[in-house]
Amino acid sequence: MLLRRLDLTTALRPSLLPDETLLFVQNAVGLYEGKFKIPQYQNGHAYLTSHRACYVDNAEPRKHSVAIDLKEVNRPEFYAGFLKSSPKVTLYAKPARFGARSDSFHPPSSNATWVCPICSFSNPVPSNFDPATASSHTQIPPCLACGIKPPVHHVVKAALRQAPAAESQSTDRVKCPRCTFANHPTMLSCEMCEASLVTAVDRRLIEAGRAESPGPELKELSLNEVESVKFSFRDGGGGVFYERLKSALVQRKWLLQSAPPVPKPTPPPGVPDDSNRMVGIARLERHGQEVRQNNQLIIGNAFEDLEALMTSAKEVIALAESFSSRARGGETDALLQSASALGLTTTKDVLNSDSLYISELSRTLAEFLTDDAKGVLRREGGIMPLVDLWAVFNSARNGIELVSPSDFQRAVEMWDKLKLPVRLRRFRSGLAVVQGRDRTDDKTIASLLSWLQTLHREAPPEEASWDWRLYGRGVTAQEVARKFGWSVGVASEELEMAEERGVLCREHGLDGLRFWENWLVESKQGLGLT
Amino acid sequence: MPPDPYPSGTDAPSTDFRFIAHYNFPPFFTLQPNPLTRSSQLETWSTHILSYCRHHRIFTLTLIDALSTPLFHNTILKKKLSLNDARTVLNWMASKEGGERIEWIGGKGGKESKCWVFWRRPEEWADAVGSWVEATGQKGVVFTLYELGQGEATRSQEFYGIDRELLHRSLQILVKKGKAQIFGQEDQLGIKFF
Repeated sequence: MLLRRLDLTTALRPSLLPDETLLFVQNAVGLYEGKFKIPQYQNGHAYLTSHRACYVDNAEPRKHSVAIDLKEVNRPEFYAGFLKSSPKVTLYAKPARFGARSDSFHPPSSNATWVCPICSFSNPVPSNFDPATASSHTQIPPCLACGIKPPVHHVVKAALRQAPAAESQSTDRVKCPRCTFANHPTMLSCEMCEASLVTAVDRRLIEAGRAESPGPELKELSLNEVESVKFSFRDGGGGVFYERLKSALVQRKWLLQSAPPVPKPTPPPGVPDDSNRMVGIARLERHGQEVRQNNQLIIGNAFEDLEALMTSAKEVIALAESFSSRARGGETDALLQSASALGLTTTKDVLNSDSLYISELSRTLAEFLTDDAKGVLRREGGIMPLVDLWAVFNSARNGIELVSPSDFQRAVEMWDKLKLPVRLRRFRSGLAVVQGRDRTDDKTIASLLSWLQTLHREAPPEEASWDWRLYGRGVTAQEVARKFGWSVGVASEELEMAEERGVLCREHGLDGLRFWENWLVESKQGLGLT
Repeated sequence: MPPDPYPSGTDAPSTDFRFIAHYNFPPFFTLQPNPLTRSSQLETWSTHILSYCRHHRIFTLTLIDALSTPLFHNTILKKKLSLNDARTVLNWMASKEGGERIEWIGGKGGKESKCWVFWRRPEEWADAVGSWVEATGQKGVVFTLYELGQGEATRSQEFYGIDRELLHRSLQILVKKGKAQIFGQEDQLGIKFF
């Protein structure tokens, strides 16, 4: 079993793989290897996902964070704690089979194929197929094309043939230490940037002798192979972690990653697609009917033919889960699941304590704001009113696990403490806004001023009675909002902020309040009396 | 007689009086909330009012009437200072901070409708008169107030055409210093310099 380095999001949480869902979070967690504490991994958050168990350090999250793939875990063990000893969950590795290397290596099932000896159709090797343990009793799905089972040794050969090939491809390349270009091993200097590769090669030689690199700190402890990893729960939560871990190990969601989707049935011809035209309850009813029809189709198709069941495993498992949750806990669980399907994973259910909920909510919010794909903050010109954020965030939760204003407020106030890349800002009027941490007042003023300066060169839209080449012109909050993509409330607050700094001055006119460059103060240096 | 204190129309003053640059800057006519900007703006207004009054030899302002004059009303920009803002400006000028260049007639508790504009303060007028008397060697000579203010002899002096009451007040200062003596009744006031 290996401790892997972990990619973190902007909010310093593990970035989830597609299909990966967050199951549980607990703070005040320490990490043990075997019986020994691992230094620098003693105070952090444990994140349990459907695929991994992660440790994210509080002090230096980017440096000291590791993940354990659940697929490498043989079994978990729970220790309830005694006197001063905290509850612990131990993850035991699956026994090594191929020596040091085999554990870290899993043949990518999407690549490995076996060719049917009957019809020569290329079938994928099942992802849970392990050539090391395969015997004549191992279940092998029949050929997808002709439905005839292949001999076991045939599939084993196929899997082994592709395994080393895939591996050598990835490791023989020498990564340039400067530009990370993967060079051919015979190269002495990088093809891209001409940096010397000698040291890189040396490192490669050292690493070739042992397993894939664990976290760098562990190297010093000479922990090449980890037999077991212990999570120590100093602030409770171990029991829940263990329960969820067990169910995650049973569910084995990582197997779904490579499963092909169920072919969607084509709508019967002749029936006009009028679903878009319906509204209100009729539309909802229609939608429910469609879902039921689709489910029926999936189940019908799947059980008609066991081969097809293999191929449509993903949908069927998902469906079975949703059915079971509906049977088990009524509506709420099903709702929770659809919420987590949206990627907004922090729900009160996932977390144990209230303060942890707030801090995780805070991180979720930061991720929500800075996520490039959604671009929530960017669309708003880098700044948005807090109330708007609350509305957008809750509507993104689709009406499920709505965040109460008070929780929201507390979560937002945690940003500074958690050193997240967004911050809350209060204008003098009390308007609270959210903006990136890198956005300062000085930058805002600079961009305002540079815009106002361009107005010295453009004639005002209406005939001006003043010397616009000298003074430019006054701008309203609406104009600023349009120019910078801010909301009008934010624009007027920013203008007043700039005014307060003495950069702008105001003019009450017939058409409202306008802001000008502040020539009133600059008179001493610039205009003076003429 | 002093010249018309409130010249009507904009043509007459604009030909020979040059307004300060800010007079053509629209925000100049809105009092600024930022304290720093505001104090700078008030100073500029004070400069503007004093130079305008000096040019037109205005000694007293009636606020309501002055509002529609070019002093407070820029007809080209179609901007003017509101009554309240104008009062704020004048009050500031009357304060210590503003150099006490305005004095409400009828005192602070008065209606604040009419005020002295001290583009020269009474002490400065007193000095001007005193040094003119000295320079022309007329110590010991008796003048009427009319002679000082409107007489042929003072035509070239800055205090020519000075408001009678202001002149009287300035001369009182000389009296207090013991440099002159005022005698006579009401309209027939005379002054003797020593």
